[in-house]
Amino acid sequence: MINGTVVDLSRIQFAATALYHFLFVPLTLGLSFLLAAMETVYVTTGRSIYKDMAQFWGKLLMINFALGVATGLTMEFQFGTNWSFYSSFVGDIFGAPLAIEGLMAFFMESTFIGLMVFGWERLSKGQHLAVTWLVALGSNLSALWILVANGFMQDPVGAAFDPVTMRMQLTSFPKLIFSPDVQSKFVHTSIAGYVTAAIFVTGVSAFYMLRRRHMALAKRSFRMAALFGVLATMGVITLGDALGFVAASVQPTKLAAMEGLWKAEAAPMPFNLIAFPDQAKHENRFEVQLPDLLSLLVTHSLTGRVRGIDALEGQAERKIENGIPAVQALEALSRDPKDAAALAQFDAHRSDLGYGFLVQRYAPDLSKVTPAQVSEAARDSIPPVAAVFWSFRLMVAFGLLMLAFFGLAALYTLRNSVQEQTWLLKAALWMIPVPFLADEAGWLVAELGRQPWTVFGVLPTWMSASTHSVTYMAFSLIGFIALYSIFIVIEMYLMVRAIRVGPSEHGDPGVHPAQPRPVLVGRPVPAAAHGTRLED
Amino acid sequence: MRTFLHFILFMVVAAVVIVLAAILGNVGAWYFAWLVGTTMIVLISAASAALLDAQEEQALGGSGVFDSHGQT
Repeated sequence: MINGTVVDLSRIQFAATALYHFLFVPLTLGLSFLLAAMETVYVTTGRSIYKDMAQFWGKLLMINFALGVATGLTMEFQFGTNWSFYSSFVGDIFGAPLAIEGLMAFFMESTFIGLMVFGWERLSKGQHLAVTWLVALGSNLSALWILVANGFMQDPVGAAFDPVTMRMQLTSFPKLIFSPDVQSKFVHTSIAGYVTAAIFVTGVSAFYMLRRRHMALAKRSFRMAALFGVLATMGVITLGDALGFVAASVQPTKLAAMEGLWKAEAAPMPFNLIAFPDQAKHENRFEVQLPDLLSLLVTHSLTGRVRGIDALEGQAERKIENGIPAVQALEALSRDPKDAAALAQFDAHRSDLGYGFLVQRYAPDLSKVTPAQVSEAARDSIPPVAAVFWSFRLMVAFGLLMLAFFGLAALYTLRNSVQEQTWLLKAALWMIPVPFLADEAGWLVAELGRQPWTVFGVLPTWMSASTHSVTYMAFSLIGFIALYSIFIVIEMYLMVRAIRVGPSEHGDPGVHPAQPRPVLVGRPVPAAAHGTRLED
Repeated sequence: MRTFLHFILFMVVAAVVIVLAAILGNVGAWYFAWLVGTTMIVLISAASAALLDAQEEQALGGSGVFDSHGQT
């Protein structure tokens, strides 16, 4: 039996490294496509200001990319070091997308990012543009494969457990990559990256506009990012809705936790806007509800109902009772793989094998399992409700805040008056942390909501970890947190330094407050054009 | 003859793209939406920059002649 503290420390270690890593990834996913947009304008119009933009934002992308790769590498090794049973149990399925992700990230993406950075003077305009597009595509396809692997953990389709080899085996690759959970999760995550990059670019551009520096670059960057962001935020919200719809069928416990739903009510069901879930008592305190909204959001119908946690726990008890004979049959098969009776027993109960494993945490000898242990395991089948509930609400609130911000940003930039809206520019600066927090909250919803499983309904988390000592796990966790905190400090230092230095502009010298107001030959500079059309 | 061959070639490419899009749209609707949506977002973002150039040109009285650095 694996020590529970080791399992918890393994979880904390993976969560810490993933949350650190996920601070870098979304910016790379989005900024690479924003670069592609900027360079597309450069190639089609020939104006070098867009080349300056692509080079400046490309420098920031490189800083982020390098640290993103560094933080991501260790995670792949953690599957082997800290989650060895998980790796052997689902490695046949999990390994392929993980390997393709590595190929995408380290062969396609890294190769082309090198060409992008060093190829400005060596490639033709068209060739360089193609390279930039391939960097964007490569980084997002890299994310696709890791999300295929993650999607299998959320909704394990395209695979089956083989009682002879004692592990999961791939039965259908198309089912794996086209599962509704994988598709909607990939698009949701990828576009969340676009939103992150758009907020980052508007924030940094606002910084320059507030200081009247690099106005031509800042105004164009802000304009492009605002339009990029407003569309992407609408996409993220749409895909968030799709993910909720998928969760209703494949992960009902996650959905019930997200909504703080203990008992199913008659349709149309209300949405808990605010509540303080009490998992011990199965109730919410201080509920503020919006009528009818839950049915509408989750089932897209006013007559749709969602199962509550009480019903799901009851269902888990039945599944555990059905899963126990499957685990007992496996034990018999491990002694004699040709035991026909055991094989028949396994086949009759195989659909609930994971639930049999779930109760083994409390009853290692399943022949002596008690109803109280079954109930305890059933209660464990529900994720931590309060954490999932509030992470979800934070993510949604941040998403709506960003939509409102981008709406205003797009409005003022399309009127070409954003540089005069000091309040909006200051707000843009304050918005920079928001998408990162939303991304982290989204990760928490997805991964905490999957508990107590590493592979939903198939492999419990408590079984998945390696048999390390508590000391080893504690020291390696401290090491990871220290190292990754240093990475964050390095990233912020390099980013801030690059932003303070600013772009190397060939066409726009920038206008500093100390400089006299420039004039065009024969006419005063209009406010809107100030700093953008200077006489050489 | 060369133009005709180009026409045939592009028609074949278009047909293949349409068939692939139909297949992808059927089995991977969200992947298809991502491809189309990303392209649309990038192009609208790029077009908005070109619009800014036009707006600034207009703000200067419509007579500004821009060089390759975006300057008059």
